[in-house]
Amino acid sequence: MYEVLLFDGGVYKINELYELIEDVGGFVIQKTQVQVQISVTLAIPEEERPAIEAKSRELGGKLVNVPLAGTEIAVVAPTLGRHHMPHPTCDIAEQLRRAGAITVVMGLARGRGRRTAQISADERAIIEEYDAAVFVLGNFKDCILEHKVKLFQDVTIPVVAVCGPEVGELPSCEAVVSGVGRKVERMRREDEIHKLEEVGQRVEDVIRAKRRELDEDPLFVHPAEVKDRISELEAVQRSLRPAPVVLHLDGLRVKIPYAEWKDQLAAVEVYGRRLGDIARITDSRLGGSTLIRIKTRSEVESS
Amino acid sequence: MSEHDESFAYQNFDTIFKQVMQELGVSRMVEDYRIKADPDAPYFIISLRMGRARSAIKVSDMALVDPAPGGGKITITDENWAPALLTKLWQLYGRDAVEQLTRFELVVHGADPEALAGLELDPGEELRSKLLDAVWRIFPEGFKVRYNLVDEKVMTIIGTEHDMQEEWMEVARQLHREMGAA
Repeated sequence: MYEVLLFDGGVYKINELYELIEDVGGFVIQKTQVQVQISVTLAIPEEERPAIEAKSRELGGKLVNVPLAGTEIAVVAPTLGRHHMPHPTCDIAEQLRRAGAITVVMGLARGRGRRTAQISADERAIIEEYDAAVFVLGNFKDCILEHKVKLFQDVTIPVVAVCGPEVGELPSCEAVVSGVGRKVERMRREDEIHKLEEVGQRVEDVIRAKRRELDEDPLFVHPAEVKDRISELEAVQRSLRPAPVVLHLDGLRVKIPYAEWKDQLAAVEVYGRRLGDIARITDSRLGGSTLIRIKTRSEVESS
Repeated sequence: MSEHDESFAYQNFDTIFKQVMQELGVSRMVEDYRIKADPDAPYFIISLRMGRARSAIKVSDMALVDPAPGGGKITITDENWAPALLTKLWQLYGRDAVEQLTRFELVVHGADPEALAGLELDPGEELRSKLLDAVWRIFPEGFKVRYNLVDEKVMTIIGTEHDMQEEWMEVARQLHREMGAA
């Protein structure tokens, strides 16, 4: 299985690191260079970590675990009102970003209340474009158990529910973190920071399980390899949106309009095959984006 | 009542209440408060016993009033009252008539200087609106159907999601009396 790490160091002899990554069968996911400092997010087979660690030491850099790098996660609150936002929704999103994930914060149009709380098919479809979702719920146990669980009962991606009261297990979600609830301040006390770490840990567990599941029938190519090819497209290079190509566990989101670019995207060559043959390219519900879901090796070989 | 243990919610609402009051700077204006909720019904009640607001003050006690061509000139000496004074002047004379020369100096066109000096500022109104703001911040967002009981000392607000029922309103009235309403 691949392990995602962040190298933080200088640019001196950085090519040696890139070569080693390539030699061990890994990929560079992202490079961010600021003058002579560089941060490199990389994915390598987990058994090769000692070799990369040795090289980082030799180059005088630091190697940090970023278990959520290469994932895009939605943090969903019942509404964007001050009752549910921005605390603790934003704090959770920030915690996930620190672990390497790209996050979006989303409020439902009609998620407030009890009997009136609902999620639309559109909202569900948007959430399902992500690798996992964190639902941030409130204070009343009765409200959560009887009504709010409806919000994520049909969501097909892994869900982590965060709520106030101790509720044990909840149906239709992979993990529950209790003890957060409504907040009117940032979560900066010691116990609150531990709670945020717990949320991060649960999301990591969920993502690790999904990665294992994907490993049983591996993807034809790693999304990072497709990213390298797509980044060469002129439209991507011209895109002013932050992170124009975002990695998912099983594909990627490219922030260029589907209708205009679908043919060029399908024609991109990856290991001698057209991208259109080894992946499903669809329009994204988020305006101006295209979703690419890479087919598994068995799907490609049997077609 | 709810069949679930809601102790977390009560404790959390207590913290939310205190933090919101602090944020709005009205913590010391509330002598006592109660929050009652039944998520199964559902209703949510907040009752507040208000403390005494600052006593009313005349403009002549917090500012110097002089005649000016076509109106009166006010020089503020106690800045704490400046926002309340401005609001009052805008209400009485309109925004166009109130000219702010500096942070402390105002000219009110078309106003009699004696009438200006005799104006009284009532901070009770300001307190009530701040407390109401706090209540809206604390109230569960979906509970839009509301019923208010307000008198000089106590403010009780009950909210629910659908139809308000008489028995819940009675609970609110009972709480309102317990909090010492006249």
